[in-house]
Parts: sequence; structure tokens; C-alpha cells
Amino acid sequence: MDLASLGGNILGTIPLGDIVLYVTPFHLFMFVVVLIFTALIAISRTETQVEGSFGTLKDHKVSVGLSEFKSRRFLAIICGLATAGAMITGDLFNFTLFIALIGIVNVGIVSAVKQIDVLDAAYQYGIIAMICSLPLFGGASIILASTGTLSLFELASMATATPMMIFGSLLLLMGVAGETGIAPFFATKAEMFRTPGSPFILIIHLSSLFVIIRTIEILLIIIKII
Amino acid sequence: MIVVPEFVPAIFASWYVPAIYAGIIIAFIGLIGIAIQKRDIHILILTDIVGLAMLIFVAAVGTDLAEALILPGLVVELAEILAISEILISREMRKSNKQSSLLPLPMVLDMEIMTTAPNFLVLVLLAFGAFLTGFTGGAVAGGGILLYIISRKSRGLPIAEIEGIGGVSGIAWCLWIIGFVLFFIAPDLWLLSLFMAACGLVLKVASKIGLIGAMIREEYNRE
Repeated sequence: MDLASLGGNILGTIPLGDIVLYVTPFHLFMFVVVLIFTALIAISRTETQVEGSFGTLKDHKVSVGLSEFKSRRFLAIICGLATAGAMITGDLFNFTLFIALIGIVNVGIVSAVKQIDVLDAAYQYGIIAMICSLPLFGGASIILASTGTLSLFELASMATATPMMIFGSLLLLMGVAGETGIAPFFATKAEMFRTPGSPFILIIHLSSLFVIIRTIEILLIIIKII
Repeated sequence: MIVVPEFVPAIFASWYVPAIYAGIIIAFIGLIGIAIQKRDIHILILTDIVGLAMLIFVAAVGTDLAEALILPGLVVELAEILAISEILISREMRKSNKQSSLLPLPMVLDMEIMTTAPNFLVLVLLAFGAFLTGFTGGAVAGGGILLYIISRKSRGLPIAEIEGIGGVSGIAWCLWIIGFVLFFIAPDLWLLSLFMAACGLVLKVASKIGLIGAMIREEYNRE
């Protein structure tokens, strides 16, 4: 598909050497929305959970300490900025690097919690994220090898998609699925949510939602089914 | 469509597909190992094999651009393995309910070389590092500093505190950047800028490796 039918009229290009960024209303909207969410997260405080026990009055609060709160807020802001970067970038390899950064930071956000179950889940998530960096970067490099460019602007202007490009983009989809923890790998991410500190934990989820949309756009640019 | 320049020998271009197959086979071996292993730490180490296969995928392209992409890939791999090992450490600390140091090894290095001639070796390493300059020289000189700290530690002697080693590193970095900028502004002064960059880099890398020793020492002082 061409760029205009996917993201609206091209508002302009930003030539930075080899990397030509292009701006469409779609990218701009996603970029601004992610930045707004990041700003909201940066000024908010964490929630405090109350764990009730059945039949007694021995409820107890699970709160987040100050140092943990600070490190978690910092990582959540980094995650938001990485997501915003993945929304606006016009270079395939920068996109994969932003995705990998999101994967690392997601592990980091929950690394300081006290619950052992959550740490177990974060460990499993991290292992999957590390394994999935193979299809992620491998897919990008196969696309580079078969087309000679990584710029999405250049890829969109190519006439047809060779089988190698389709193979590479499918690998890229597998990599994104593993790094952000969507469909086949979602169980560990659901476990990671069982800890206090709501707005910072939610950026894990928000980033993956935005990244899926952007990935589908990139796949449509490369594969050219329609 | 193959975009290979004419001056590249045909045999290089034909190596791409075997390299991809090699990467897939290595990743497969790593995944089999992960499936068999039961201990978490072994799984983590075996996952690194899959990461190396990723580097093979990127390196197989073999162009300048791919060369520029290997470094971020390597950094991502390292950052992920650090983050996950941090998770493992904090989980084990939660389980056993006690704090442990960053490097839980006893510092008893019962080797003769630690007591006989460490000072001489350190001097040789520092001189050789200063002679080499650049990244390699920094690594050699930093290894010398590290050897000095470890040998003092193993002999039970007090270690001279070098405060502000981070400041030296920062100044060296500035020297490096100034030298680098001078390359582009005044290409006539290439020799001066080359030496500025090289000397900045030797100090930078040496102080970095020295810092590793300082950090380990701080960990042991804490216990």
C-alpha cells in the first residue's frame, strides 16, 4: 500500500542524511497521544493496594517505597519516550531498536518489586524478549539484504515485494510479538501486573497497544498485499 | 533483485545464504538447550547463544550499514542479559531474605604472581598501554590498574583511595570530543587531533576499567 492511503497525506519529510523521516497525520496523532500519556504518567503518583483476607479484619496495605517509586517512574518515562520514537521513526532499524528498548524497560519497571511471583513472571518475559530479538533484528537485516535500504520511505516506493522481503517482515512481526508480549506470550505480562504502582505498570500495556498498530502499518508498507 | 557492487567478488555474495543457515542452526541448538535445561541461570546463559545467532543474521549482510547495526544489536543483547540477571538476583535475595554483594566470590586469590611481581607487571602494562594509545591501550592500562588493586587486596594491604577518577574520565572524554571535532573543522591539524583523540581514549578506557576495580572494592568494604 502507498503511504498516503495508510496514514493520510504526507505533511512533509525531514531529511537527516540517509534516514528520511516522513510525517503523516497518523504518525503525528499517535506520537502526540503517546507523549500526552507519558506526561500524565510523569506527574502522577502510584496507587496503594489493600490486600484483604477472607473472614478476618487483617487487611494490609502494599505500598511502594520512595526509591522504588522514583526508579519506576524514570523507567516508565523512558518507555513512553521509546514508544513515541517508534511511532514517528521512518527507519526500520530504529524501529526495531525502539522495540527492543521497550522490551528491556518493561523488565526494568517490575525488577524492584517484592513479590516473588511477579519477579518470576518478569524473568520469563525477559527470556522470551531476548529470544525474540533474533527474529526482530534478523527480520530487519533480511529486509536490508533483499532491498538494500532500511528507509520506510524508500521501501514504500518499491514496486513489488520479493519472497525474501515477505519472509523478513513475518520474522519482524514475530519479533515484535515477543518483545512487547502480545498474543502468544501474554500470560507472563498479565502476571507482571499483579503488583502495586498502577500508572507505571500500565505503560507496559499501552506501549504494546501502540506498537502493534505501527507494526501493522509497516508490514502493509513492505508486503503490499493490496 | 541483487544490489551488489561489481567490485565485490562473487564468492562473498554467495556466502549470504550459508551464513543465514548457520545462524538458524545455532539458534536452534540454543533453543534445544533452553528446552532441556531446568535451572534458571543456565537458561539465561543459553539464551545468549540465541542472541549471538541474531548477530550472525545482521553480520551476514556484510555492508557498511550492517556493520553499523551490529553495535546497537550487541548493546541491546547486553542490556537485556543485565536486566534479566538483575531480576534473578533480586528474586533469589527475596527468597533467601538476605542481602548479598554484587560479586559474591571470596577474594582469596592464592597465586604466586599476586605476591612476587605485581608492581613490575603493572608498570609494564601501564607503559605498554600508554605506548599503544587508543582503545586497546586504554584496555591494557586499565587491566594493569585492575591487577594492581586485586594484588593489593589479596596481600591484605590497604588500597590507596583515588578520588575523582570519574572526573579524569570526564576530562578525557572532553579531550576525545574536541579532537574529533577538530578533525572536521581543521583537517590540516589531523595529527594533533588524532593524538588528542587517542590520548583522551586511553585515559577514558583506563579509568573505566579502573572504576570496575574500585566498585568491586566498595562492595567488599560494605560487608
